[in-house]
Amino acid sequence: MPLAYSLPTDLSPATVVNASSLLRIVALALISGAAIASRLFAVINFESVIHEFDPWFNYRATRVLASEGFYEFWNWFDPTAWYPLGRVVGGTIYPGLMATSGVIYSILHGLNLPVDIRNICVMLAPGFSALTAWSTYMFTKEMKDESAGLLAAAFIGIVPGYISRSVAGSYDNEAIAIFLLMFTFFLWIKALKTGSAFFGTLAALFYFYMVAAWGGYAFITNMIPLHAFTLILMGRFSSRLYVAYSSWYAIGTLASMQVPFVGFQPVRTSEHMAALGVFGLLQIIAFAELVRAHVSSKQFQRLLYASVIGMGILGGLAIVGLTYKGWIAPWTGRFYSLWDTGYAKKYIPIIASVSEHQPTAWPSFFMDLQLLIFVFPAGVILCFRELRDEHVFVIIYAVVASYFAGVMVRLMLTLTPCVCVCAAVAFSSVLDTYINPVEPDAVEEEAETAGDGAVSASSTAVSTSSGSATKKGKKAAPAAQPGPLGGLVSTVSAVVSTKKGEKSRGIFGGDTRLAVLLNALGMLLFFVLHCTYVTSSAYSSPSVVLASTNPDGSQHIIDDFREAYYWLRQNTPETAVVMSWWDYGYQIAGMADRPTLVDNNTWNNTHIATVGKAMSSSEEVAYPILRKHDVDYVLVIFGGLLGYSGDDINKFLWMVRIAQGVWPDEIQEPNYFTAKGEYKVDDGASNTMKNSLMYKMSYYRFAELFGGNQAVDRVRGQQMPKIGPTLDYLDEAFTSENWIVRIYQVKKEDPLGRDLRTANAFEQGKRRKRSKPVARRRAIV
Amino acid sequence: MVPHWRRRLPLLLLSLLCPSFASAHSFENTAIVRTIDLGGSLVHVTTTYAVKALEDGAGVYTLALAERELKRTSWLEAKIKGQQNILAMESAGFDGESGVYLFSVELPETLRTNGTANLVVEAIETHATYPWPEEAGQKDGQSLKYETDLFVVSPYKTSVERIKIKSPSPNILSYSTPEGLDEFTMEIPVTKSGATITYGPFSNIPATADATFLKPKQKEVAVHYNYDHPVIEVTELKRSAEISHWGANLNIEDKIHLHNAGPKLKGHFSRLEHQASTFLGRMPPHVLPSLTLHLPPNIRSPYYYDLIGNVSTSHLRVGHLPAQQSSLLEVRPRYPLMGGWNYSFTLGWDSPLADYAGYDKSTGKYVIGVPLMTLVPGAVVGDAEVTIILPEGATDVDFFPPFTPIQSYVKTHVTYLDTVGRPAIILEYKDLTTKHAGTVYVMYKVPLSAHLKKPLAVATAFMGLFVLGFAVRRMDVRIQKK
Repeated sequence: MPLAYSLPTDLSPATVVNASSLLRIVALALISGAAIASRLFAVINFESVIHEFDPWFNYRATRVLASEGFYEFWNWFDPTAWYPLGRVVGGTIYPGLMATSGVIYSILHGLNLPVDIRNICVMLAPGFSALTAWSTYMFTKEMKDESAGLLAAAFIGIVPGYISRSVAGSYDNEAIAIFLLMFTFFLWIKALKTGSAFFGTLAALFYFYMVAAWGGYAFITNMIPLHAFTLILMGRFSSRLYVAYSSWYAIGTLASMQVPFVGFQPVRTSEHMAALGVFGLLQIIAFAELVRAHVSSKQFQRLLYASVIGMGILGGLAIVGLTYKGWIAPWTGRFYSLWDTGYAKKYIPIIASVSEHQPTAWPSFFMDLQLLIFVFPAGVILCFRELRDEHVFVIIYAVVASYFAGVMVRLMLTLTPCVCVCAAVAFSSVLDTYINPVEPDAVEEEAETAGDGAVSASSTAVSTSSGSATKKGKKAAPAAQPGPLGGLVSTVSAVVSTKKGEKSRGIFGGDTRLAVLLNALGMLLFFVLHCTYVTSSAYSSPSVVLASTNPDGSQHIIDDFREAYYWLRQNTPETAVVMSWWDYGYQIAGMADRPTLVDNNTWNNTHIATVGKAMSSSEEVAYPILRKHDVDYVLVIFGGLLGYSGDDINKFLWMVRIAQGVWPDEIQEPNYFTAKGEYKVDDGASNTMKNSLMYKMSYYRFAELFGGNQAVDRVRGQQMPKIGPTLDYLDEAFTSENWIVRIYQVKKEDPLGRDLRTANAFEQGKRRKRSKPVARRRAIV
Repeated sequence: MVPHWRRRLPLLLLSLLCPSFASAHSFENTAIVRTIDLGGSLVHVTTTYAVKALEDGAGVYTLALAERELKRTSWLEAKIKGQQNILAMESAGFDGESGVYLFSVELPETLRTNGTANLVVEAIETHATYPWPEEAGQKDGQSLKYETDLFVVSPYKTSVERIKIKSPSPNILSYSTPEGLDEFTMEIPVTKSGATITYGPFSNIPATADATFLKPKQKEVAVHYNYDHPVIEVTELKRSAEISHWGANLNIEDKIHLHNAGPKLKGHFSRLEHQASTFLGRMPPHVLPSLTLHLPPNIRSPYYYDLIGNVSTSHLRVGHLPAQQSSLLEVRPRYPLMGGWNYSFTLGWDSPLADYAGYDKSTGKYVIGVPLMTLVPGAVVGDAEVTIILPEGATDVDFFPPFTPIQSYVKTHVTYLDTVGRPAIILEYKDLTTKHAGTVYVMYKVPLSAHLKKPLAVATAFMGLFVLGFAVRRMDVRIQKK
């Protein structure tokens, strides 16, 4: 065989093996380093702080765990959340994340390393992303080989789609869940390949960890059965599958039921029935296989198959019947919203109001995955080439996750590992093909037509890389006559056209190799640049702290949230109840340490609707609601001065919608629009809007700030009326520096028994208007 | 602990043995002038006693403080006028009948009959003023009230006495005019000129530290005055100083609870009005928007955070020795501190150990001087706890605080990769003022073996891990051999 370039021949095989294993370890270490480092933008640009909303709750729970111990945490009843209901925290959360941090905390403290629990929480996600890179390496290694594994590890290490949920400080369940997802899948594949109950058990244990860590465990619960079911349909039932699945399902399900929040769901809800069904099916098939091994009569076999199918159908019917009977809970609303994206908006506005539950916009695929999204299909197709059991898994995973990622922005996260694996397989196939020094025997082929196609294909694939590289590729193409097949096309066409002989595959010449490899390298380089850029600019903002730049270019931190929360914490009684929209519940609990009415754990729609109603009604209507709930302070977010668009006025319609869902007679969404159907806050705003508590609290004394000039709301770009709203039932208690957070105190009832409006008018010296003079005359009978 | 006991013991015994050495006949005050400098949380009281001895060999002068005075006084110091030496002062018991606490001051030399001396006693009173009215609106001014006894309490007869009260601003809202003083003065007992109110002169006052005088004749006076600065109180200060020999570093961390002790904010805080007054440069006197602190020179990596994270609104100008004696830190709380509001924060920095520590070759001991507190100008520190953490393995620890703490003890503090922990000295104080900003000197020995303990422990742990890994890799635990 001719070689394109010479290889050293004086190396012993042992040296090669050792060197490559060392290189792999070094590469993995570097990838881990890169994965951690690229997540530290938030810490370097800002500080070591917990981000966003949910992480604040996790952080608070972890602090309880770290300071009070596991049993206290387990039995923790939090009376300050969902005032006055309270929340049984231990039984309503996935404790995996907190337990992980708690374990790390105790280990470090056991070693006399007094690391602050906050820093552990902040650094947990980057740390686990390094583990994710390693587990993706292991997973991809099972798909193809080590080099693909390394590529996949590098991809998942820095891909923005995963970084978006795992930057330092975003202390959420996803931080450890993706590692667990990939590792469970790896163990499943391993178990399936080896037929080992040991790996099946390991898979079950990590599945348990996953269940304890993230609600998205249902993805695994359905992926593995789907895979097993597909394999059965493909006629690939084997004892390996039986052992792997049975050990995983039996142990995994029993273990998962130990998590209080999951409890009996694995046997009582529809989401888990697929796993149970496949488990039953496998038993039946295994039994049938056993019987078939002993019986030879064809008729008996036919009978057996009929009975197998009959039992399957019966089992399915039983599940359906139990569902109707109510023994098995039907699908939840969140599940339906996965199939019909309009469902949530119609029936469960509270789910639809969360931005991460919206359908994904197309550009975000490119933003989160860049070139991987283009290479991804090629990788999936490459999986068809061999189509071993594990390849079937990746193909199913790819199809299912692609669909989900299209439905919900948030589920982009589950697609990302699969994309990384497939893209790594495709990329490493290209690199393998073009680095391989073996040249094929020269065989004349009709290269012209295939060549043209290849060039156009490769140029689209490298559209992101520089133009010169593409040109080079084009120039190089005619030079090497028979072998200008682009890497992708060659492999794909190899799959498609099976007519070609094995020998004819391969690349001629060094320049061809160089052209393609440089192209590929360029693409990878641009991928790195893109990832770094997106991570630093889009995904590294803590959202608790806002950044702007001073005129001299230095960074200016806008810290209004913490200013107001800290004020609450230091200057109000510890029992003061704070009402705000649910988005801020966790932050208030975490930073201000005050009881809240509603928070981000949106389990009680009515309670949230009550807050929505209070916010969207007039003062007179809202006041009794506030008093009944012992509300001392009301907190609103107002961005009109600074142009902060995530404020409460922009979220206001969701409050109205949610309140309308419960009180359709009292709150009607159309009332909040102008006659023309516009959403306005200026002079033209509807009366209902102007009288709503939210509007009043947001714009109270706002116009005065402009000192007689035209007041402008910078978010909505509307000019505000000169005379702002007045408040009778609330007092302004605190407003942060840039007016982002405004806190109002709810007045107590008037001691003289007047209503507060009258009392206020009296105090301002206004005379009460006499209503109609009362007729003194007596009616003549 | 031991040194303090040792130092105090003889004097304690002395006071027990001769309880009556505050004799009313050994001295006479020819004149007393008391000057009270009013302030926010601190009030300086300077009393000058012109003393005449009535018998030979009189060397111990007795000061007296009424109960309220004693409660307020956090700093008391006596000097001979014009001299720098501080005179030794000891508690000389409590007179139950008149409710007066006595202190004996040792004069530098005994006086003969009719010999005279001018004794200057300086005292700082804390928590002596209170806001009046107790609440003020956001735009209102701030006025404080100070109440005190008129006559200086003394166990000796006094010929002439005069009390001056100086207000920081000439805007004095009211002051009391005591009546029934015909016994001591024929003129109007009180005059006001500018920012000073003068009571007296009063003449021929008998020994006032006496129930027969105090109950019927002692008068109370009050001054109500405007104060143009926020009244700041540090309710709690926790300082910890950690010494690292390997890093040649002294880390000091202060946990500070600030409280604006001025009039409580009436009604509510309006950002609009606050921004308007900032814009016009007319900040109401009771608002504390920022705080300037003097930190030691040559400091590195300062940090300023509170319970929920870093506070980005601060500026530090590091001073470098020898030109600048301090670094300047401007701290802005997250929100302007209105009357009655609280704010807590943590402040810390590193400084080179060489600026603070030295090595005494003759005894083989290290000596380090740790500043006791960071001065918050014009503020009183309520409860202070100073912790000095010495290097691991330090022995023969001796410490010398600038003045006696309420409580002091040594405990073990375990931190980064420690094996046995470090000795930590803890000193507890109450009501510290500007005058208390002293230095705690600590002497200790650190043997070489203690220095090497940590690297060795870590190296051993890693070695163990590697050996374990080595063994595990080479063990065959399979049941079924292939």
